[in-house]
Amino acid sequence: MSWGLIFATTKIFHFSHALTLTLAVYAAVLAAGPWGIGLPAGFALAAGAGCLVGLATELAVYRPLRRVHASQLNIFLASLGLLIAGQSAVLIAFGPQARTLEGFPMTGIALGPVAFTTIEALWVVASWLLIGLLMAWLWRTRHGRAIRAVASNPELAQCLGVDRERVFLLVFAVGSALAGVGGALLALRDTASPTMGVQPVLAAFIAVFLGGIGSIPGAALGGVVLGLAENMGGLVLPGYWQGVIAFVVLFVVLVVRPSGILGARGR
Amino acid sequence: MDFWVHVLNMILLLSILGMSLNLLLGYSGLVSMAHAAFFGVGAYAAALSARHLGLPFPLTLVVAVALTTVLAGLVTLPALRVRGEYLILLTLAFQMVLYELMLAWVDLTAGRTGISGIPRPRLFGRALVTPLEFLPLIALCALGAFAIAWRIGESPFGRVLKAMRDDERATLAIGKSVLRGKVLVFCLSGGLVGVAAALFAHYQAFINPFSFTLDRSIFLVALVVLGGTANLAGTLVGALLFVGLPEVLRFLQARPEIVDAVRDLVFGVLLMLFMRFRPEGLLPEHAGLGTLGRAAAPAPGPARATDWLSPSRSALGGAELPLRAEGLEKHFGGIKAADGLGLTLPRGKVTALVGPNGAGKTTVFNLLTGLLPPDSGMVALHGRDVTRLAPWRRVRSGLARTFQDVRLFERMTVLDNVLAAVPDQPGEHLRPLFLAPWRVAAAERRNREKALGYLDFVGLAHRANEVAASLAFGEQKLVALARLVATEADVLLLDEPASGVDAQWVQRILELIRRLAAAGKTVCLVEHNLEVVTAVADRAYFMDAGRIIAEGRPEELMADPRLGEIYFGKARR
Repeated sequence: MSWGLIFATTKIFHFSHALTLTLAVYAAVLAAGPWGIGLPAGFALAAGAGCLVGLATELAVYRPLRRVHASQLNIFLASLGLLIAGQSAVLIAFGPQARTLEGFPMTGIALGPVAFTTIEALWVVASWLLIGLLMAWLWRTRHGRAIRAVASNPELAQCLGVDRERVFLLVFAVGSALAGVGGALLALRDTASPTMGVQPVLAAFIAVFLGGIGSIPGAALGGVVLGLAENMGGLVLPGYWQGVIAFVVLFVVLVVRPSGILGARGR
Repeated sequence: MDFWVHVLNMILLLSILGMSLNLLLGYSGLVSMAHAAFFGVGAYAAALSARHLGLPFPLTLVVAVALTTVLAGLVTLPALRVRGEYLILLTLAFQMVLYELMLAWVDLTAGRTGISGIPRPRLFGRALVTPLEFLPLIALCALGAFAIAWRIGESPFGRVLKAMRDDERATLAIGKSVLRGKVLVFCLSGGLVGVAAALFAHYQAFINPFSFTLDRSIFLVALVVLGGTANLAGTLVGALLFVGLPEVLRFLQARPEIVDAVRDLVFGVLLMLFMRFRPEGLLPEHAGLGTLGRAAAPAPGPARATDWLSPSRSALGGAELPLRAEGLEKHFGGIKAADGLGLTLPRGKVTALVGPNGAGKTTVFNLLTGLLPPDSGMVALHGRDVTRLAPWRRVRSGLARTFQDVRLFERMTVLDNVLAAVPDQPGEHLRPLFLAPWRVAAAERRNREKALGYLDFVGLAHRANEVAASLAFGEQKLVALARLVATEADVLLLDEPASGVDAQWVQRILELIRRLAAAGKTVCLVEHNLEVVTAVADRAYFMDAGRIIAEGRPEELMADPRLGEIYFGKARR
């Protein structure tokens, strides 16, 4: 949803969202490990770092490009450039080895036939909480309305006195902070590495296009469909197909219903 | 010595991949984030067919090329959406699926272990083993790939690809199939990848999935963009930098583990800076070696023949009412943009379509030319029902249009804009392009003369070699008119030909329209400027709310107080 929010509003194919996520997670790892200020502070730091990286990206890369009327393709290419440069900078600074985000007690929980870990329980609670908060913010507040206005019709929104550049900044700040928290949640179970951001962001691309571009609830729905398809598919298909299912689902949707599940038709 | 030859071989292999991607990205404006995966599939195809089927080298190359061609063609399956962010996502999906399969389909690919012991190719009874022995083969293939990519990129077919890159709707409007262009260019690009892939597999004698990651695809895109899009020499420079930079760093005795990371850092930063300050890359499209062999400026000579303007030629055959539409209906939600609309256009006359804003005039053009499918109704061209015909096919049967917002192919030259619209060019087909180059060359000379003639007609032949975007708006409208005439269509629909243009240009445009009608062309125009309508139109249809409510001579319609009220709004009392 964080990537979907940015894409729906700014129409930038923001690939270096993966870098934002990685940098935020490294901040959390440093906070919880070497700096020893604890995991909750680490999460706060991840949100803050994500927010800063997102803002810096928008201000230093995307805004100057928009000013010279760069095409969508060129903006995407610049985003790719930022991603590979940032990844290698992380690699040079921290080394290629994976790092763990420590401090969360992981134990197994069994509810009847369903077994899961405390981390997975935290994932479920935290993600639904964040989705709920984001939706409430988008639908209940002035800022939220401004964002949805720019997302649906930037020119008209501008005529009505909504400052597009400020809305873009806001969206990058919020979306990137969310990505930071999401990344830190992921890193609790998996590990932090220079290229860790790419896989979840790819999943986000797919979820957004499945749900329908420009539909923020659609992005959440797309995510659910994607997760279900992957795991249900894993039950009937041999193991090596599991990584493939997501992309096959995407391909089928793009062919059959290109506007996505909740997208407007005839876009 | 061997080491540097190896570096050279890798540069050559990479430049084959780069040229393949440049055909897509530079010439056609289509992104592929899956080129590394296509490369991998080709390499596995060559390796497996050599090891398990015992095929000798040239045959394994054929297998690899066949497979990558088909695979790249599959990308164009969701055809109409093959563009922009959809294409990025689609090719990303291909990249990830194929890479996962290479890793996980252990029975076939041996997973992470990879495939080793790929037999060396034998040529003239000798096995090629050392980099130096491989060099001639790789260099020859690279040269071949360069020749093919150059031949395609700089041919009439390449011109259609560039037109498609600059504006898809306008490409349809000059009667060229966008779908065919996309499918073909993806297949060709895939085929070239297959060549590099087979060579790579045999050269390394060992492959595993880690040479075919998403990162590789990204770097390939980066090197094409940095080198220069739509410039093949630029791609060579890009490959040189990409492979050469780490070697130079190593030579300077940088720590080995950071060499690749530093290269990536440099490439990433360069990519960002180039997008901001030099988006066309090191060697841009209209300069340098990549443009070798493009025709020089036309000599200012005597006025060119305008025999196509004589009525005898275009009046051959056909009815006196070349275009007839009946009962056209089009609804957008609750709005009726066309409501049971019918009209006829007589030969050799100028018919105007007037009416207030929002009356549906441009919608009529879109319905007639097929850019919008009607809900019901019929369009007949020369007595033939064309309602179900694709837009670009209608142009080929003689119905063409211009756009209100001009829509030139902005990054192409003025001459190429017009030349692209000439129908029936043998150079747009691959077989004559490679098998009968003399026919292509002869046709190209003829068509260039024709195109210069059309430019002469609008008075812009002296600007033929300038990039279209650099022209003033009025001149762009004239080029659009020349491009329209170049389609050789005889029914011409002009969407606001004189709007937004200085008075001096208006007179010139009107004069040209009169000459077209006098030459037997059937002209229909949408225009807001009523002076223009009275000056040039023989008859007019008055439209309101998706219907035609009056028909007659322009002066008669304008004298009708009822229509005046609709047009200018009712005066309030």
